[in-house]
Amino acid sequence: MTFSLTLTPADLLLMLPELFLTLWLCVILTIDFSLPRFPKRNLAYLSVLGLAVVLANLIWFDRAGMTGTLFNHMFVVDRMAIFFKIFIVVTTILVILASIDYVKRFKFFKGEYYFLVLMSALGMMFMASANDLLSIFITLEFSTFGFYVLVAYLRDDPASNEAGLKFFILGVFAAGLLAYGISLVYGETGKLVLSDIAAAPATPGLIIGYLLIFAALGFKIGAAPFHSWIPDTYHGAPTPVTAFLSIAPKGAAFAILLRLFFISLAAFKPAWVLLLVLASILSMTYGNIVAIAQKNIKRLLAYSGIAQIGNVLIGLAAGTKMGGDAILFYLLTYLFANLGAFAIVIAVGNLINSDEIEDYNGLNRRSPFLAFAMLVFLLSLAGVPPLAGFIGKLYIFIAAIKEGLYVLLIVGLINVVISMYYYLVVVKKMYINEPVDNSPLTVSAPMQAVIYASLAGTLALGIYPQPIIDWVVSATMMFSHIVAPATAVAPSTALPFGG
Amino acid sequence: MAVPVSYYVILSAIVFITGIVGVLIRRNIIIILLSIELMLNATNINFVAFSNYFHNVAGQVFVFFALTVAAAEVAVGLAIIIALYRSKSSINVDEFQLMKW
Repeated sequence: MTFSLTLTPADLLLMLPELFLTLWLCVILTIDFSLPRFPKRNLAYLSVLGLAVVLANLIWFDRAGMTGTLFNHMFVVDRMAIFFKIFIVVTTILVILASIDYVKRFKFFKGEYYFLVLMSALGMMFMASANDLLSIFITLEFSTFGFYVLVAYLRDDPASNEAGLKFFILGVFAAGLLAYGISLVYGETGKLVLSDIAAAPATPGLIIGYLLIFAALGFKIGAAPFHSWIPDTYHGAPTPVTAFLSIAPKGAAFAILLRLFFISLAAFKPAWVLLLVLASILSMTYGNIVAIAQKNIKRLLAYSGIAQIGNVLIGLAAGTKMGGDAILFYLLTYLFANLGAFAIVIAVGNLINSDEIEDYNGLNRRSPFLAFAMLVFLLSLAGVPPLAGFIGKLYIFIAAIKEGLYVLLIVGLINVVISMYYYLVVVKKMYINEPVDNSPLTVSAPMQAVIYASLAGTLALGIYPQPIIDWVVSATMMFSHIVAPATAVAPSTALPFGG
Repeated sequence: MAVPVSYYVILSAIVFITGIVGVLIRRNIIIILLSIELMLNATNINFVAFSNYFHNVAGQVFVFFALTVAAAEVAVGLAIIIALYRSKSSINVDEFQLMKW
């Protein structure tokens, strides 16, 4: 077999967002080292400008219905890929704006920080388009390398070093599992493109291969039982990096998981539903129960993140197009609520230099804005109406009910109650407890922009979700062939989620 | 072909399991890094063998990329290890237990 590669400019247009971002991050790096007097703060705004251009480009692709594949189906641009790219770019813009104050505390490498963030974002944009086991492996590693460095970025801080070490060892271990799993799948099928390997019969080698790939991706999204790196890495890493790590790679990894399960493994659905149900129950229950005992807000959000990923896995376990829609919608609600909560952790951490929950006592007296925003984000994470998290959870539970996964529904609802407890403990500390220090806290302008954007997203998705629901429903149109054998009835139109 | 493909698969499985066991039981970070390299090299043995078996170059292409990824991983990993050694004067993983829930 020979590879024939014919590229026309029209083909390369499909890669325009990635090509532009590659160029832009080279510009950022060049400016950083060739103009030492250039203020680092402006590098952040320059990065945001580049990302805004990429975002506009992606929205144009989405409106114009631009789709296609490149490089022998290794790189695919479809509406789902565009959705996840927009997800990643929005996250990156908000994270960079939230980093500006934090980066001032770095003693060195202030400029390279923005370069590494952009590089990780670029890797994740490629992940959203990966349609072949080789490109899955490369893009996954590409996006993670930037994170290894970012997590260990505070070189003088032993906690950051330790977080980097734990993340690195478990990350490359997962990479080894992924590569070996891919080699077994290749050995059984002789092919690497996801749609080509779909027809293969289930042999022991193929099953082991897929299990190894699932373990590696489970590590990436931090689902139990592959979550062991999450609490320490989130705790030790610089807080903006934690915020980035808790959202963008999860979205990109779910793009790969959706393609893998819905395209390559569609024929084996009865087998993997059980696997995903177990992973989902384990993640939700473990994350929520351990979160109760946390004293540090970053660790609390880390465990709550494990539980949120358990919720997202419910949609994957449903294994229908509606499940896919619910995943996309849920990830958006998670993006705004989690990023907002982390933005407040960054803001408070910058002002009082502490991430302990005790130090949030009486936050309402010191800064009513921060306390109110945190309240909204935590309630959205818990799933309280009329906020975004409520619609997200409802959507995902309805997808599960349609597939008859009542176990997941019951466990999910019990977990909503458990999570309500520890989110409300933080709220109680902010609103009822007396502050030790009464001095008011002021928030900088870029941080305010991030918090307002997250608040707007959380409220808009909760109050008027219809445009976004239409968008996610059309983004996963390629999965419409997946109809569950048991419930071939049309979805009820009485619900707002007519799929 | 003189050597059947199953021999290569058995060899790679042995190398891969050696790597996994090394990661799990050794405490020196450099040895852990070496064990992870073993895991990736087991992958390469598999890919070259299967590529030859199927007469399909995709496997060989994968090997090139896997080698590149492994090299990049070592570069990042050694940098992190140097930073750790500066702060703790040790590269034993048991020494790094600052954070516990």
